[in-house]
Amino acid sequence: MMAAWFTGLAALLLLTIAAALWRIWRGPTAADRMMAAQLIGSGGVAVTLLLAAAGQPAARDVGLVLALLAAFAAVGFVKAASHRGAGDPEADDASDARAGRAEGRAHD
Amino acid sequence: MIDAASLLLSVAGLIFFLAGTVGILRFPDTHSRLHALTKADNLGLGLIALAVALQAESWAAIAKIVLIWALVLLAAGTSAQLVARVALQQGGAPGSGRDDAGPDAVGSTPSGQRDPAG
Amino acid sequence: MTDRPGKHRALLRSALKRALILAPILPALGADTREALLLGGPAVVAATWLSLHLLPPQRPLRLIRFLALLPGFLWRSLLGGVDVAWRAFHPRMPLNPGWASVPSDLPDGGKVALGAEFSLMPGTLVAGTRDGRLLVHMLDADQHLEGAVRLEEARIARMLGQPDTAHESLPTSGAGPS
Repeated sequence: MMAAWFTGLAALLLLTIAAALWRIWRGPTAADRMMAAQLIGSGGVAVTLLLAAAGQPAARDVGLVLALLAAFAAVGFVKAASHRGAGDPEADDASDARAGRAEGRAHD
Repeated sequence: MIDAASLLLSVAGLIFFLAGTVGILRFPDTHSRLHALTKADNLGLGLIALAVALQAESWAAIAKIVLIWALVLLAAGTSAQLVARVALQQGGAPGSGRDDAGPDAVGSTPSGQRDPAG
Repeated sequence: MTDRPGKHRALLRSALKRALILAPILPALGADTREALLLGGPAVVAATWLSLHLLPPQRPLRLIRFLALLPGFLWRSLLGGVDVAWRAFHPRMPLNPGWASVPSDLPDGGKVALGAEFSLMPGTLVAGTRDGRLLVHMLDADQHLEGAVRLEEARIARMLGQPDTAHESLPTSGAGPS
């Protein structure tokens, strides 16, 4: 009984995250598309957990890899999208912002 | 009893995933949408992880579920910051909402901190 | 200014702590046979080395305090999810987004931890730092922020312990140019 429940729930969850595809399609910014893709990542992990509980334990390993890949995808996106390939949130943002934006804007 | 708890937790998890999707589709600007993704999805995954952990066949399976959940939680907090930073640097595209003007007002004036009203 | 043996001892302590955090991943992955440990052992060593290489230790991490922080963190991230779900489902969508910048003098790693925590807490999202200040996006711009930041900062600072004088060769506050 629980197996059928989890399978059904996994299907509903797939529909829920499929709706996020609309945001990937429309954007408008690259970050919007990236976060919708991330939603599909974390939703996909939940789907694998549900399928594992529904009698396919191997799905958990798929979920583990998916979780890792989602993290790497986010970092990869940030490295590709930020100027000079910086991605460290602790790095001072001012120099990046100066490099990337309209020249002549006075910071500090 | 345990089955009932699993049912309840997994439905709650689905509801939070739904909230994340609704937020991503409805919220007016990029950074607000990022709030929805980060917080709602994480809670949804946590609840579903708890639901399936209650049904797990072994302690090893539970350990793996906890590992996956911890990994996603860690990654979510960090990648939210990263994506937020990129969204801020690139600025919102025209029409993405009132988000656009904000960060510069903060960044360019040293005294630009909001008054904590109280 | 730094005595070598003390520095080595501190480094070894950090390495052991990080290995202690990483090692439980092995059995969680299902590596509980002798053959699996033959591969997993070196993997833990390699992961520890990589961790020390990418984030050199500056302040000793206090594992007990780290664990003590977890329940509160999980609770607040639950509140964060409920808060944002409520706003998403609400017909009128009560949003009043705005930005604030809050100074923080946590060391490297500490600010990322603080930012990650705030990104999961109700109504706040951190978008990195600029000029040593955390850039915080809020779903409700009227939210009280300063006090919450100070509170979490103090918690994380306690978790990190006192600055280790053996590691003063590295900057302990702010983020250097990378």
